[in-house]
Amino acid sequence: MPVNAEKEISTLWRNLHNAQSEICKTFYRWREVAIEVAGPDVKPLDIAMKAAEMMGKDLGKNLLPRLNWLKGEEAFILNLGRALAGMWVNEGGVAFAEKGENEGEAFVKCTRCPWPTAAKEFGVPMEEVALTRERLFQTILGDANVFFNINMKIEMLKAIPRGEGMYLFRLYKEN
Amino acid sequence: MAKLLFEWDYSSYPGAKAYPNLFKPIQIGNLAVPNRIKYAATEENLNDHNGFITDADVAYMRSRAEGVVGGLCFMQGVYMDEKRQGQGYVGQAACWDDKYIEGLKKIADAIHGEKAIAGFQLMDCGRVGAVEVDSGHGPSTVPQRLRIFKPMYEMTNAEVKEMVQQHIDAARRGVEAGFDIIEISGIVGYLISNFLSSYTNRRTDEYGGDIRGRCQSMVEIIQGVKEVCGPDIPVGIRLCSEELLDDVKGNTPEESMETYKIAEEAGADYISCTLGWQESIYPVISRDIPQGNWLHLAKRAKENVNIPIQMAYRLFTPDKPNKAIGDGELDIWEMCRSMIADPSMPKKVLEGREDEIRHCVACNLCLARLFRDAPMTCYINPLCAHEHDENFYPKPVEEDDKKEVMIIGAGPAGMECAYVAAQRGHEVHIYDIREELGGTLLEAAHSPYGDEELLTCPRYQKKMCEMAGVEFHLGTEVTDELIQDELPDTVVIATGPVYSKIQGKGGDRENVVNILDVMSGKAEVGENVVVWGNRKPGIGVALYLAKQGKKVTIVGKEKTAGFDINPSFKWRYMIFLRQNGVMAYNDCDIEEITDNEVLVKTYDGYRLPVKCDTVVVSEREANENFKNVVQAEGIEFFVIGDALVPRNLSSAVHDGYRIGLRI
Repeated sequence: MPVNAEKEISTLWRNLHNAQSEICKTFYRWREVAIEVAGPDVKPLDIAMKAAEMMGKDLGKNLLPRLNWLKGEEAFILNLGRALAGMWVNEGGVAFAEKGENEGEAFVKCTRCPWPTAAKEFGVPMEEVALTRERLFQTILGDANVFFNINMKIEMLKAIPRGEGMYLFRLYKEN
Repeated sequence: MAKLLFEWDYSSYPGAKAYPNLFKPIQIGNLAVPNRIKYAATEENLNDHNGFITDADVAYMRSRAEGVVGGLCFMQGVYMDEKRQGQGYVGQAACWDDKYIEGLKKIADAIHGEKAIAGFQLMDCGRVGAVEVDSGHGPSTVPQRLRIFKPMYEMTNAEVKEMVQQHIDAARRGVEAGFDIIEISGIVGYLISNFLSSYTNRRTDEYGGDIRGRCQSMVEIIQGVKEVCGPDIPVGIRLCSEELLDDVKGNTPEESMETYKIAEEAGADYISCTLGWQESIYPVISRDIPQGNWLHLAKRAKENVNIPIQMAYRLFTPDKPNKAIGDGELDIWEMCRSMIADPSMPKKVLEGREDEIRHCVACNLCLARLFRDAPMTCYINPLCAHEHDENFYPKPVEEDDKKEVMIIGAGPAGMECAYVAAQRGHEVHIYDIREELGGTLLEAAHSPYGDEELLTCPRYQKKMCEMAGVEFHLGTEVTDELIQDELPDTVVIATGPVYSKIQGKGGDRENVVNILDVMSGKAEVGENVVVWGNRKPGIGVALYLAKQGKKVTIVGKEKTAGFDINPSFKWRYMIFLRQNGVMAYNDCDIEEITDNEVLVKTYDGYRLPVKCDTVVVSEREANENFKNVVQAEGIEFFVIGDALVPRNLSSAVHDGYRIGLRI
């Protein structure tokens, strides 16, 4: 078979990464548009946080058909963590979920994230990058919480844009 | 003394002897019902978009009323709120004002005209409603799992009470319109079921909480409707015996049975036993579910309550409900899809004409269309939803216009056309190179997951052809010379498709085989198979081979595998493919075939080798055979079914029927 596997895979790999990088850039391009349209009285951080909320709401809807309670609470929480990590992976991150030490707890970790790099290119403050990620995840949980009649919370313990080497989110059930 | 609306005596009919339990009377409330047959309320989107009844709906219902031979015939559920949050279908009938009574009366009269019992259903679609407005209403604001449904709005306590009153008022209008029995719909995600379910009801007022609280609105509706209807009008309710929502913390089966008991306590005169919600992840009515699969739920319902239990759900033939009724596990046999496919189904059972029944093939096209705001249609019954249109009925031809018709191909298109044309008075000859009737359905029926049910279609058509006097010429290959010798007035080309040649290198190798040879066991197939074509036939053969333990990969040009499967059934097939480890490369081509590999090329030029020892061709093209000779001889001709454009069984049947009307 006349297939040069290395060439095929490397081309695919390059194109995938280009597409992933465009996700971040497109977001920041739209951020600039929104800032300009909103005018000088609106803080860019408020715009970014609102965008994170709207995106989170929609991403959360995508999760609903895929999550289920059949394997019980612990499996549900870990799967929810995996779903959040999976979104990050789609964007070009290296992310995974782990079961926590306590019941009703999981951790979402990201050791490589493409967003800070893109943010730098557009002059976006690093703290905004961290806060929008946290808000995005919090909003994603909103619909899932109501849908499954559960009170899940997520808090950001570490963030790459804060210079902490990795993102660390604690996903937990609040009683 | 129970009230008897119409006298029926079934004693002289063969069906009453073969299925005695189906044709014995039963009392529901104070109403005597002559048999155990019910056409269950089914939406059909045939009414106008303001909820007024149309002639199409009246005619549709009249034909079903004739079919139940004195039994229960329910019109579709009506929505009852002026705000239209309860409206789940664009053509759903409305009943929020007295102005609708006149139209509803036409349906009641049509049903009575066939000496059947007219049933009226109250159906606020709740969570799956709001088809024409921005938000649905329900007990709580639980987000929708499926994006096609509207966001939910939590009803206030006052609005719940108003909703209860709307049911009562609508029931009163139904009685004024002349209906004999009232039914409340509390199933599959409609409003009452939303109140009953722990999944969707998070209320803390008297309409929420434990199962009693969640049943409170249902109880008030039953009691209020009973009161307004009086003692002679029975009031029943449709309730889920199992919601199948355990993945989202829905009611347990025990809680569901509790809802039955509470409904009985509230005064319900019967319960129609259903299962599953539109949001359930389990299949309930698709073809892969065996007939009679759910009868144990009716039996359990009967163990929990003392009022009559009715059930539909994969009961397409009379034997199972007849036995279940005889065994005390069921009281009334409900039908929806089987009477969409053949409105006269129970009548034919009664008259001993079971071989004349056009059986539903459980494709769910009818449902798929309703959810997409299209009028009802049936995959295999071309007359469905056209009962009001005289142009859809075979009309006899004048003596001078009678023709000799040659139909080439005894598949579903050819046979459908043959009997319709013959019924009209034409002399019809149907030819096929095979010895057996059915065309490529004979092979398609070998696919797993219940596809053998597809053969009910050619069986019906064969009977119709025999009754209409169609002459069969089986085992006869039609050639240009035969056409020139016979010189018929009309030729109908119903040969089925031709199978595409693979254009890539190696497309003519010996390890490239045809789907029909594979499905009929004539072709040898290796362990690693690539199926060329990602439409229905490709998926059917892929599953057939995967079930034999082969590693199967589908390669096809369509952007998604099975794009031609109707949306209400496609999700099942996607699961079957996953369960059987079938990989699909969509939007792809085959660039090259060798002894042990296929080179797949994606739409954007990437190439990947797939291990393969046999390639099965399932891609089809229109069949151009015979056109030249019939044109040259000046013979009128038609091309139908897959010979015209490769599609599906439904298109074949509908093509055949329409051309049968035109010749």
